[in-house]
Amino acid sequence: MTSIELEIRNPSGLHARPAALFVRTAGAHRSRIRIANLTRGGQDVDAKSLLGVLGLGISSGHRIAVSAEGEDETDAIEALRRAVNDGLGESLDPVGG
Amino acid sequence: MRLTGLPAAPGLAIGPVWRYQAANAPPAVPPPVNDATTTRAIIGAASAGAAAELEVLAAGLRARGATEEAGILDAQALMAVDPSLIDGAIELAATGVTPLDALHVTARRLAGVLAALDDPLLAARSADVLDVADRIARSMLGIRVDPPRRPSIAVADDLPPSVAAELPVGSLLGIALEGGTPTAHAAILARALGVPAVVGVTGLLAALDATALNLDAADLSEVALDGERGEVVIAPDAVERVGFTERLVAIGARRARDAALRVKPLATADGHRIRLIANIGSPRDSARAIAAGAEGVGLLRTEFLFMERSRPPTEDEQTAAYGDIFEAFGAGRPVVVRLADIGGDKSIPYLELAAEANPFLGVRAIRLAYRSPDLLVTQIRAISRAAARAGVVPHVMAPMVATIADVELFRALVATAQAGLAADGAPSAERLICGMMVEVPSAVIFAREFARRMEFFSIGTNDLTQYLLAADRTNAALAHLQDPLHPVVLRSIASVVAGAAEARIPVAVCGEMAGDPAGALVLVGLGVDELSVEPNAMDRIRAAIGSTSTAELRSVAATALTAEDATAVRAAVRPLLERSAG
Repeated sequence: MTSIELEIRNPSGLHARPAALFVRTAGAHRSRIRIANLTRGGQDVDAKSLLGVLGLGISSGHRIAVSAEGEDETDAIEALRRAVNDGLGESLDPVGG
Repeated sequence: MRLTGLPAAPGLAIGPVWRYQAANAPPAVPPPVNDATTTRAIIGAASAGAAAELEVLAAGLRARGATEEAGILDAQALMAVDPSLIDGAIELAATGVTPLDALHVTARRLAGVLAALDDPLLAARSADVLDVADRIARSMLGIRVDPPRRPSIAVADDLPPSVAAELPVGSLLGIALEGGTPTAHAAILARALGVPAVVGVTGLLAALDATALNLDAADLSEVALDGERGEVVIAPDAVERVGFTERLVAIGARRARDAALRVKPLATADGHRIRLIANIGSPRDSARAIAAGAEGVGLLRTEFLFMERSRPPTEDEQTAAYGDIFEAFGAGRPVVVRLADIGGDKSIPYLELAAEANPFLGVRAIRLAYRSPDLLVTQIRAISRAAARAGVVPHVMAPMVATIADVELFRALVATAQAGLAADGAPSAERLICGMMVEVPSAVIFAREFARRMEFFSIGTNDLTQYLLAADRTNAALAHLQDPLHPVVLRSIASVVAGAAEARIPVAVCGEMAGDPAGALVLVGLGVDELSVEPNAMDRIRAAIGSTSTAELRSVAATALTAEDATAVRAAVRPLLERSAG
């Protein structure tokens, strides 16, 4: 099993659009992938379920734990790490020039 | 009967009512189920069908520019095949519940989890889950939302974006909601479609039902919707109709006037052309700028890529971002990319910059490249690659240029980037058009020297004003020294225009002054070629300039140059402004 801890820095947390990108990235891998919200606590859920991920109530600044188990677990974790750090399709709070 | 809510999208409409009610308990008979395999097949097929519909609707919304709502429908498409919902419903159906009930019970449970979250944005998604379940139910039963038969005003407690998106174009005259807020998706969608909306109209549905009981169906045929005042009139009488119709005509005329101006290039009344271009700060702003009639981008602030992160953006990431913007604007609408204006007061963790006593006078922008050239070389490489991908010639602009050495450094960075791409065999722009921000007093004084070495100027009036008057623009106690219409700033601009004219290079102004109608009039009078403004300022700049002649603008500019303070300049411009507003 491969796992990682990440901080969500999207201004509005993991709301619909970034969460959808996270779930799609997870869904592109064969491994069983789980995600938990370390800041709120509680159980981990299927990272390929948008409703599960939204239900974790991940707000900006929350830390998450992601674990993958399966043949492509390393790739899956790396892809999710990159997606989260790149803002999941959002710019992370621009500041004017 | 007149009811009041919150104005959520501007405009007026009058028309028949089309009621939408969520089909949480569809009236049709559920299909018979024999065994677990059939149940699984029924739910699975309905869920895949609903997801496919939502994807098509999302694409349609995206094409209409409603990207935010398209994103919601994309998320709903994912929910429609979500294992929590579908597997949950299948498991529940295995206990003997009908597939339809299993679906709704599971959806309500999942929606309840979201609704209980203390994050309002996530809690708002619970309505999306119920809406998705309705769609899967309709797919299961082979029924559709019955669309309005003639153009109508949609009345509902809430109108899910997925339903609004499905209504045939032109069938929606407006939206009136009992619930909702001006930031509700139905309201945003109404604005994207250009139809009025009023939300939060308490008692709307009950009043509509009561009116229906007291009147013949023919009398109830219409409601009037005022998206400017936030009013809904049920069964308007003759007097109310006349008032509405008059305002409707006036608003139609105003919109037609704005739209007509947008398709025509900006010019003074006597036909002198001015390029009206946009200031944007991220790829998200592209559609808004194009819709507002921008002839290109005069200032793409690239800081969005560099701020709030622990590592610099990669070349690929930047290439993708610039490429999206270049492609959105195309070859006919040039985009000026300003190199990262960072450092000083903007903290960038990965650059390990020392704290400075005077950040506005510190190591920032092009000055950073003396020490760390890689950051800007990577950025220029990305701009060049993105331009090659989009088939455009990119404009690159250096900020904070103060000396000839800064220009030579800028040229060297561009040469290094281009040579590197060639050595890598990577696609690159054939050439980059290089210009500079004029925002430092030394650049004004040396305008003639700089003009010979650069291909365009863009005057940053916010910084130029603070440097000329030695007044920190973040210090509220010095706000009276921040007016860019001060004659000292205007004389500086006039001398930059003169220096540029000798070398025949264009001058743009991208500071806030260009988006202030009074400032724009003076700038055109001073001979500035291009105004780069926020997209939402474009209509008023067009109105101000289009109603004046070059001779009038030159005369006002001449008066302004000899004034003693900004107040006198504004007084001189006022008669022209008042005429364009009238």
